Amino acid sequence: MDPTSRPTVVIDNGTGYSKMGFAGNVEPCFIQPTVVALNDSYLNQTRASSNMANQYSAGVMADLDFFIGDDALLRSRASNTYTLSHPINHGQVEDWDAMERYWQHCIFAYLRCDPEDHYFLLTESPLTAPENREYMGEIMFETFNVPGLYIGVNSVLALAAGCSTSKCDLTGVVVDVGEGATRVVPVAEGYVIGSCIKSIPIAGKDVTLFIQELMRERGEKMPPEDSFEAARKVKEMYCYTSSDIVKEFTKHDKEPAKYIKQWRGIRLKTGAPYTCDVGYERFLGPEVLFSPEIYTSDYITPLPALVDKCIQSAPIDTRRALYKNIVLSGGSTMFKDFHRRLQRDVKKIVDARVQAATALHGGDIKAKPVEVNVVSHPIQRFAVWFGGSVLASTPEFFAACHTKAEYEEHGASICRVNPVFKGMF
Amino acid sequence: MILLQSHSRFLLQTLLNRVQNLEKEIELDHHWVEFDDVRYHVQVSVKNPHILQLSLSLPTSPLETVFVGGLPFGAIEAIKAAYGVIVQILDPPRDGFNLTLKLNLSKLPQDEENRHTLLVKIASVREVVLGAPLRVILKHLASRTVAPDTNQFVALVHRPNESFFLVPQADKVTVVFPMRFKDSIDTVLATSFLQEFMESRRTAGLSNAPPCLWSQSPPLELKGATDDALSANAGFVTFVIFPRHVEGRKLDRTVWNLSTFHAYVNYHVKCSEGFMHSRMRRRVESLIQALNCAKPEQEKTKKTSQTRSFKRLSLKNSRTSSSS
Repeated sequence: MDPTSRPTVVIDNGTGYSKMGFAGNVEPCFIQPTVVALNDSYLNQTRASSNMANQYSAGVMADLDFFIGDDALLRSRASNTYTLSHPINHGQVEDWDAMERYWQHCIFAYLRCDPEDHYFLLTESPLTAPENREYMGEIMFETFNVPGLYIGVNSVLALAAGCSTSKCDLTGVVVDVGEGATRVVPVAEGYVIGSCIKSIPIAGKDVTLFIQELMRERGEKMPPEDSFEAARKVKEMYCYTSSDIVKEFTKHDKEPAKYIKQWRGIRLKTGAPYTCDVGYERFLGPEVLFSPEIYTSDYITPLPALVDKCIQSAPIDTRRALYKNIVLSGGSTMFKDFHRRLQRDVKKIVDARVQAATALHGGDIKAKPVEVNVVSHPIQRFAVWFGGSVLASTPEFFAACHTKAEYEEHGASICRVNPVFKGMF
Repeated sequence: MILLQSHSRFLLQTLLNRVQNLEKEIELDHHWVEFDDVRYHVQVSVKNPHILQLSLSLPTSPLETVFVGGLPFGAIEAIKAAYGVIVQILDPPRDGFNLTLKLNLSKLPQDEENRHTLLVKIASVREVVLGAPLRVILKHLASRTVAPDTNQFVALVHRPNESFFLVPQADKVTVVFPMRFKDSIDTVLATSFLQEFMESRRTAGLSNAPPCLWSQSPPLELKGATDDALSANAGFVTFVIFPRHVEGRKLDRTVWNLSTFHAYVNYHVKCSEGFMHSRMRRRVESLIQALNCAKPEQEKTKKTSQTRSFKRLSLKNSRTSSSS
């Protein structure tokens, strides 16, 4: 009954989606939205009476009456007794009660494993406070009695996803464009260069909002309560990255039949079908990341410029290696040709700088051209999960975990330290 | 979710996906583990997308129980009865597993409802296989015939190296579970949970439920069992099952609930711990609010975010002190 003989449970909790499964597999068992639908009807009572009495009167099992993931979204639309709650915002856990319930359902209802039998691998973003790691450790060790826990930094895991036994290159820049947060994280030999992490307030959710706005401005017949969901599905099915928006506009105008697609949806409340046209949104949506000024005036640095700025702020001896290995991760990098556009734009900036430097020296000293390479592969959507699965299948993994024995001896503070920030991996 | 579901959610999801995309060639090779150390492996190869190979590994049985040919008594008949022609048992099973089934997905019934029921049944393969001996005994109870070996207890495996005991008689079956927990806090919570369980049986609405008893020492029915089998740190739970509990459709549910009773108690113990944590957090929040009210009025300093974590403690605000 040795926990190390069983596969590790890998759960990657992101702002939008959580990916969960067992190590050693190629893809996660479940990809569910990170959302909890709670039955809060008992909390509306007056504050004078104690909470326990209310809960009892709401039905004896009111605290067990909740759903997560897709079920939660369905239930909250169907009836009013359930309120939705998103425990994770911008990559950080904000509501620990909801998060604990989320994990409870992940482990017992979805994965159906006994937490005492498996080591666990959870993920966090690089800039989380150490207190958050402590809370995570506390919940896992106290409530679920896990034998061992490893809290991995999601950027390093995304790099580890590209690892094979022969080539393990833990130096690179991870461009993680998720639902709630976009981050550019440079990693040098497994060590996250914390001071150079750059983040953008524009992520998958903003692309969806932009598409929703465009479609609404054009007057498409979308039912208002479903428009966000419809915009999200349109984004996932029809959007692509263009190389030049002016040319795309002319392409669309010249051959509308080829480029304009139809979206057929069903209005959830009434069940009536509706159709709308999808036109310029197809390429304007992903363009938000490359030219944010079309979406908001608060923030105007395009993604390639930010990647370049991030690498330039990294130590000088790592820069060439970082340019060579720009890894994409996150669902919002799945647009067609995203990596090509990013590579082209970053290369343009880098080449311009190299040329300027050569011109300064009057052409005598020629700098070696910098190779820019953006790596893309089909598992981008759950690259972090896959990296966790790869990492948890190595024999050295179990030695790197925090164990329950250590937790009982020293307390939750053992989880504050993450080996990645110490330079050890 | 109060009761654990009998079908494996992931297996059902995989089967439904395959059935909907029967012609698409994909390579699938997935293994996972469920509670009580039951391992599954599912494989679909590109060459035959209609064929799905499902392997199941059962918990290791302790000395008292008997596995016939690597499977519990009555398992093979139960599989054939439940699944019919679409399932073929492969012999020998895959290396490291007790049972390998070959499913031919093109032979599923055509109409939607029957197909879904059958797929749910396939996803409950664990209930069919592990619960087979229990099912045989309870079926005898339902038909009020008496199996050979009466008044002798039967040991069935439900967890790795642990078993539970049945005493079949003509008009009732007594089921005894020795409850063991590894963690001391779990043991305490489980003991009070089981005592409540026993007390709650006395409420009016539950008079039709099987009578339930909890005792710290082994009950008399288990005289003669080995000492090893009788060591339990959270007491013994005894249920008495009457024929009315196993008629018709209730048989499946009774078999599942009894064979996963320990996992059920484990799940509820963990939920209770989680619930206590929420209450503790709420209490801490209210105490911190009281503490903040008691602070004397301070001048507003220019720097707010950096010093906030020292001046105003709060679970929710700990994030803002280190935001990027």
